Amino acid sequence: MFGFLEKKQSASVAKDRLTIAIMSDRNRGDAYPFMDEMKEEIIAVVKKYIGVRAVEIKKEIDGDFEALSIDVLLDKTT
Amino acid sequence: MGIVIAVISGKGGVGKTTAAANLGLGIAQNGKTCALVDFDIGQRNLDMILGLENRVVYDMVQVMDGEATIKQALIKSKVSENLSFLAASQTKDKSVLNSEKVKTLIASLKANFDFVILDSPAGIESGYEHTIEFADAAIVIVNPEVSSIRDADRAIGILDSKSNKVKNGEEVAKYLIINRIVADMVQSGEMLRSEDILEILNIKLLGKVPEDKGVIDASNQGKPVILDKKSIAGQAYTRIAGRLCGEKVDMKDIEISDSGLFKKIAGMFK
Repeated sequence: MFGFLEKKQSASVAKDRLTIAIMSDRNRGDAYPFMDEMKEEIIAVVKKYIGVRAVEIKKEIDGDFEALSIDVLLDKTT
Repeated sequence: MGIVIAVISGKGGVGKTTAAANLGLGIAQNGKTCALVDFDIGQRNLDMILGLENRVVYDMVQVMDGEATIKQALIKSKVSENLSFLAASQTKDKSVLNSEKVKTLIASLKANFDFVILDSPAGIESGYEHTIEFADAAIVIVNPEVSSIRDADRAIGILDSKSNKVKNGEEVAKYLIINRIVADMVQSGEMLRSEDILEILNIKLLGKVPEDKGVIDASNQGKPVILDKKSIAGQAYTRIAGRLCGEKVDMKDIEISDSGLFKKIAGMFK
C-alpha cells in the first residue's frame, strides 16, 4: 500500500532541480542586461562627489531574499 | 486606446502560436476588437493556425517599410469580424525589425483595436526583444516540463529588463498559461503541479489548458480549437479570453480528472 513512498515522485524531483537551475541562471550577470548600464550610472553619480576606481555589483540569493550588494572602490588620493 | 499583449514562451513548441490564435479569437467572440500580429519573422505560422494562409497579400515588414498600408495588410478573420490578422514576413533576414518601426506599427494598431496580441518568436534573440519592447503586458506560455519552465524564466528576465514600460519605471504585467496539462499525471506525481510552477516562476496564473488531441485536429483544418465547443482545450481558452476581457471566470481545476478523482476515492477503501 505504501509502495509509492519508496520512489520519490518525479514531479518533486523536477521541482527541486528546476529551483536550483533557475536560481543559478538568475545569478548569472548576463541574465540582467541592465547591469552594465546601472554600473556606469552609479559610477557617474559617485564621481560627482569623490573619485571612483570601480563599482562591483553582486547579486546574492539567500532563501527567499535577493539582494544586490554594491561595492564602490574609491581612488586612493581622495 | 487598446492594450498590447505579447505572447511569449522562451522555448519553442509549447503552444505559443496556438494560444495567440485562440486568445485572439476568444477576445473577438467577447465583442472586443483584436489585432493579431505574427512577429515570428521567417517562420510564419499563425496564418496556418487561423486558416488564413491563402489570403496573405502584404506582411508586417511591408507595412513598416511603407510598401503597404496597415489597412491593406490586415486580414479579417472568416469567423469573427472583430478579429484582424497581420502576417509575419517570410524573409530570412531577421534584422528587418528595428525599434522605431515596431513602435510606429504598434502605436497605430493600438489606436484602432481594443487588444493587440503579438505572437513572439521562440528564443530570446532580437525578434523576441522587439515583440516585448512596447508591450503593456505579457502572457507566458509553459508546459509542465522542466526545459519549458527554465526557458520561460529566462524570457521573463529579459522582459523585466528590456521592456519599455520597465525602462520608464513602470511595471509590465505578466501572466502565465500552463498548457498541455495531463490531470492523471499530476495526480500520480509524475507532472509538476500548477502551484509549483507558479512558485518557481513567481508569476500570476491566467489559466490552465489541458492536453487535448483536438488541438492538432483544429490546426490541420485551420480552425482554432476554441471554435470546437466540445474540446476541453477550447473551453479553457474561452475561459481565459473571458478573463482577459474583464469577466470573472473561476479557475477550473483541470488537474483533477474524473478518473483521477475516482481513483482517489477508490484508494481510500483499499
